[in-house]
Amino acid sequence: MNAIDGTDRHIKTDEAPPPSLLAIVLDTNPHAWAHLSSTLPLSSAIANLLVFINAHLASGNANEVAVIASHTHRAAWLYPIPQSTTLPTSQNGTSNGDMETNGAPTEPSVPENPNKYRPFAIIEKAILSNFAKLLDTTKESDLASTPTTLVGGALSLALSYIAKSTLLHSPVDPLATDNPLSALADSETMHAQRTPLTSRVLVISVSGDLANQYIPVMNAIFAAQRRRIPIDILKLAGDTVLLQQACDATGGIYMKPERPEGLLQYLMMGFLPDATARRSLVMPSAGGVDFRAACFCHRKVVDIGYVCSVCLSIFCTPNLPDNLCLTCGSYLSLAQAQTATPAVIPRQRKKKKKRVGGTDSATPGGSTPAGSGTPVHT
Amino acid sequence: MSASSSQALEYLELLPGSVHKKLYDQPSTALAIFRCMLPHLAKTIVMAMLYMTGPFPANDLDAWFRSDAKREKDKAISVLERLHIIMLRQETSNQISYQLTKRFAQSLRQALTGGGTHRSFGVPSNQPDAKRVDKAFLDEYARKQWENILFYMVGSTVGLADSNALGRDVGEGTKALLKAGDFVRIAHGRVHITRTGFEFVLQEVNAQVWSLLIVYLKHASQLNMSETDVLSFLFMLGSLELGQDYTTTTLSPTQLQMLEDLSAFGIVYRSSKEASTFYPTRLATTLTSDSVSLSTSEPITNSLSSAGHRAGKGYIIIETNYRLYAYTSSLLQIAVLSLFTKLTTRFPNLVSGKLTKESITRAVRLGISSSQILSYLSAHAHPQMQKNSPVLPPTVMDQIRLWEYEGERVETHNGFLMKDFGSESEFRELLEYAESLGVLVWKNEEKRVFFVDRVEQISLYLNNKKRTQDR
Repeated sequence: MNAIDGTDRHIKTDEAPPPSLLAIVLDTNPHAWAHLSSTLPLSSAIANLLVFINAHLASGNANEVAVIASHTHRAAWLYPIPQSTTLPTSQNGTSNGDMETNGAPTEPSVPENPNKYRPFAIIEKAILSNFAKLLDTTKESDLASTPTTLVGGALSLALSYIAKSTLLHSPVDPLATDNPLSALADSETMHAQRTPLTSRVLVISVSGDLANQYIPVMNAIFAAQRRRIPIDILKLAGDTVLLQQACDATGGIYMKPERPEGLLQYLMMGFLPDATARRSLVMPSAGGVDFRAACFCHRKVVDIGYVCSVCLSIFCTPNLPDNLCLTCGSYLSLAQAQTATPAVIPRQRKKKKKRVGGTDSATPGGSTPAGSGTPVHT
Repeated sequence: MSASSSQALEYLELLPGSVHKKLYDQPSTALAIFRCMLPHLAKTIVMAMLYMTGPFPANDLDAWFRSDAKREKDKAISVLERLHIIMLRQETSNQISYQLTKRFAQSLRQALTGGGTHRSFGVPSNQPDAKRVDKAFLDEYARKQWENILFYMVGSTVGLADSNALGRDVGEGTKALLKAGDFVRIAHGRVHITRTGFEFVLQEVNAQVWSLLIVYLKHASQLNMSETDVLSFLFMLGSLELGQDYTTTTLSPTQLQMLEDLSAFGIVYRSSKEASTFYPTRLATTLTSDSVSLSTSEPITNSLSSAGHRAGKGYIIIETNYRLYAYTSSLLQIAVLSLFTKLTTRFPNLVSGKLTKESITRAVRLGISSSQILSYLSAHAHPQMQKNSPVLPPTVMDQIRLWEYEGERVETHNGFLMKDFGSESEFRELLEYAESLGVLVWKNEEKRVFFVDRVEQISLYLNNKKRTQDR
């Protein structure tokens, strides 16, 4: 009789892990790859990445993948191409998703190859041809204009794709699927627990100096944190504060391999395990995370910044034009606030200069360079 | 890993190592086994080791896993060892390391990179076929063939039609196979379904296909077919593309013979017996993907899952008062339901009835277990029911079980009794090991005995221990 109790009511608990969607953001910044070409040329990096994608698809029968290139001047889809009809394996089932708005469908004819598993061949073909297209359309002027990459836009693309796939996966009445609005409404009521899709984002980054995209990237991070989507970072070159924070905030993996040529092994061991497998594995983490923020005015990483009391924007200098916050336009009397601090100092008697500066600061701008020069460090 | 592939896994595990080695020569087989047979963590381990230059020291592997996941790790490793995918290597006296079997690693790498000239993923026909058929036709064909088989098994028990008419559409070979697999018994010219037959009928389609194929495999040697040839052909079928025609010219005689049998099951389609091409149906292409992918990716497949012409998968609604409504007009589904339901009314698109104590105990007497009934009901539950968690009303689930337990008080397991331990610590150690492997069935700590359903790994463990003690 013991066998009949509430605990084994779930007779059909799904043993199989839920399907997992891996969105890969590949940094294709030509400047950075040119730097790496001696150890890891872009072509072999992509070859390794394709093997990794195949391994991911093989790890679960319903696993999906999305690949986005974050290029110098735009973020571009490598797979799936933004037309739901072109690829049978891409799962855009609805009739009016936002993915199929542009362009005429160009059916890529994948040659039948008896030596290759067909789903692998389809994805490989799509990624390679789209990547070639992206490189062909890149003009010299695009390269000259910026040395960095649009990782913020690519992250947003990845997150919106994940959100859409999650909706499509949630178990809803098949009668309702021809109306995406009802599916939307349903997902609110049914709650995320029943969605069987687990997703994660992998950013393969080679460019440094991403501080100028601080705001879009941070917004993407917070969105991912809210939806519990881990962002994994594989940092092949350069170092950015930002991406480290991304995986720290979302519970992803941060890896900065010392030998980039071993890319495939890093991918296979560190980034292949999905959320189900990670529960039983010891995963590498960022260790000490640099939590510094970038200022909103010059996009510089700052140790100490000035925060707008209304909208929480960060500035590296209290010397704002007209004392108005650049983001929300509130009046901030930063200069006056700063005079108050030096007023405490004179007791020490040593720092007479400060006192002079303090009295001077009635004229805004006069002493601000000294004031913003991080007094703590002296 | 779904229920359907676990059957196939059990069968695979029992094969000797030499057969495994031969199987792994084909990249398609290596990939198929990796994709659908291995538990999730085992896949992770294999992938981590696949491009490793040297063997993987056991200590490092332990360090990679969290301490509370030791059980899962041992399970994954034991499956991999049983399938001869990884080997233990004794480096020095106290250092052990794991290594992937060479052939498996090589084949899997080839499958991932798409290199080589093995042509194991099916050679498409390059001649345009005048009598080309589309996917809808293939689905219809597969559904019809498979339903005929099921109907042949169920029909006479529920007395829907006379048994002579039932077997008309089922080939003699298939009938013989069903009999050989002990799914049906023929007595006095009538077909009687057996306990295993019920188990078969109540499974999902994918699991049914595998059960039948495993019976087929077991009898392959009697027909002078090599087991490896048959298995690797099946795994190849699983990696083919639906709606594509493939040429038969590259197949071995064994595989050509198989094609004939498989087209009788509805797993492949050939326009005629001499045709130089064949089409895999959905039954074939979903062999190596589990049912989860069936239900999520392609809604068309659901029409396959026993007869429902509607787009939706499930059709059964059960209320807490044991009333059952099934939106179906298929005779097969009604026949299956009537095995354990007291059906009262039938409308053009709906039958209704009630689960009663009599109907359940009658089913139990016929050899159907309560868990089979429950899994059938929840697998075919109406989309509205699927939204609930748990899918079926708990009262109904409990009551069905209680009705069954009224008659059955004894459970049997085949296995091995471990006894006569020298010391308490020795007993505890082995007991914990058995528990972590998941083979422990029963224990009595006072008498220092326990019972396991598998003994290979425990004996290996004991031998290893003995050797280290002797040293």
